[in-house]
Amino acid sequence: MWFYLIRSYIFWHLRKVIKWFLRKTTKLCELQRICYAQPVGACRTRSVEQSLRNSSSPQIRGLITVLDARASDRNYYSGRSILVPNAVSTITRVKRIDHCEYERFTNVLGQCVDNIWSYMQLVEEIKTSAAIQYDCSNDVHEKSLLLLWNELMPNNKLENRVTKQWQDIGFQGDDPKTDFRGMGILGLDNLVYFASKYTYLARCALSRSMHPIHGYAFAIVGINLTSMALGLVVDGSAKTHFYNKRNPSEYEDFNEFYCYLFWEFDKFWLNAKPKDLMEFATHREQFENTIRQKLEKSNTVFLIDVPLDNTTDMLDR
Amino acid sequence: MTLRLCACTQGLLSMLKRLRSSPDKELRILLLGLDNAGKTTLMKKLASEDVSHITPTQGFNIKSVQADGMKLNVWDIGGQRKIRPYWRNYFEFTDILIYVVDSADRKRVDETGFELNELLSDDKLAGVPVLVYANKQDLALAAKASEIAQELNLHLIRDRPWQIQACSGIRGEGIKEGLEWISQNVKKK
Repeated sequence: MWFYLIRSYIFWHLRKVIKWFLRKTTKLCELQRICYAQPVGACRTRSVEQSLRNSSSPQIRGLITVLDARASDRNYYSGRSILVPNAVSTITRVKRIDHCEYERFTNVLGQCVDNIWSYMQLVEEIKTSAAIQYDCSNDVHEKSLLLLWNELMPNNKLENRVTKQWQDIGFQGDDPKTDFRGMGILGLDNLVYFASKYTYLARCALSRSMHPIHGYAFAIVGINLTSMALGLVVDGSAKTHFYNKRNPSEYEDFNEFYCYLFWEFDKFWLNAKPKDLMEFATHREQFENTIRQKLEKSNTVFLIDVPLDNTTDMLDR
Repeated sequence: MTLRLCACTQGLLSMLKRLRSSPDKELRILLLGLDNAGKTTLMKKLASEDVSHITPTQGFNIKSVQADGMKLNVWDIGGQRKIRPYWRNYFEFTDILIYVVDSADRKRVDETGFELNELLSDDKLAGVPVLVYANKQDLALAAKASEIAQELNLHLIRDRPWQIQACSGIRGEGIKEGLEWISQNVKKK
């Protein structure tokens, strides 16, 4: 306990001394050193984030409070075209950055700021979506659920809204609505996105999930993977992937991240050759660990390994 | 920092408590019931964990929980029809069977009664005390515990101690009363 206190006290002061020394010798502030020295991607964005959050300047602290509030009210995306330039100009003013350095620095800093607070809003977006319960009286929800069926089972007509057929695509009972209890509409959105954008992959995974021994319940596993994806994004581990993508994160990027996880999990499960689906918890944990290990490497960015063009080709054949 | 301090003291306190009353009983508890009955929520609530994001159980979960001076090893097995044939693999050495019923799911009363009867007539579970949780009492449509008991014909059980307990897993109500019954019935054993 005391050890931690003393250690963080020493670090705090040491950091200040080092920063002062570097500023005097390089004539650059910490943010500039990060933006110039580090290549574009997660490493740079994470360092900028840390530097901004550790800043003792009241203007920068105020700026962060405003941006945080916008992101947690899910108002950042709509105002980014004003918020980003404002943030950049506040920071350059506070840090008294030389005019000839201006443009090179502001572009990079702007990108980082946009990435940081887009990610933060993404966290809020998916948490909100997970909190929306599936509602049978909501047309949008119902249509989305039927779309899922049609994408996965184009040759089998759904006989009823409530039917045993739902178990064919891996729901637990006759009405999928109860299975969405924990992940809400986010779980449905993820499944529908996977089935409509990567239809070939989704159908592949579905047919493999029906294997008599090494099979699994497609939809239930899908909802469990939504929970895993949500966990990785909310605790910040997934920043590596989202910061390494060039564009700032949006809801669709979460869907893409999910599709990657699903496709990889399907392969992982098949490779593990489980005795039966009672082994799910163990393999799920191992799978999550491998994903976490990948996210610890600063250059990780997940790309689904089948190109989109091929999927339509394969469907036609 | 204060958080860390709190965690430290709490950890210390629970350690002292454990030293003082080291649990002499270690129980294997089997948690069964149809899908969406609320088994995982009950288990998480027993372990004082967050219950807002429970996903359907594929396979099973295990948790060790300290309660009422007992160490409970809780086995929460998925309830979907596909998984039910695997339930038998977990019967051995069971001390208590907890059967969870969704009191608001009137359509599946027969199905849940059928599954319970299957369990009670299995040799591997002969004589194992059964606690039925009439869960989801927080819902407006929920049947009373007494109705559930009637529909499941619990009064016909003669070969083991049994109990029905109304509860709400989400709110955490009624769970403790069930645990008290467990601790009394284990002492008698």
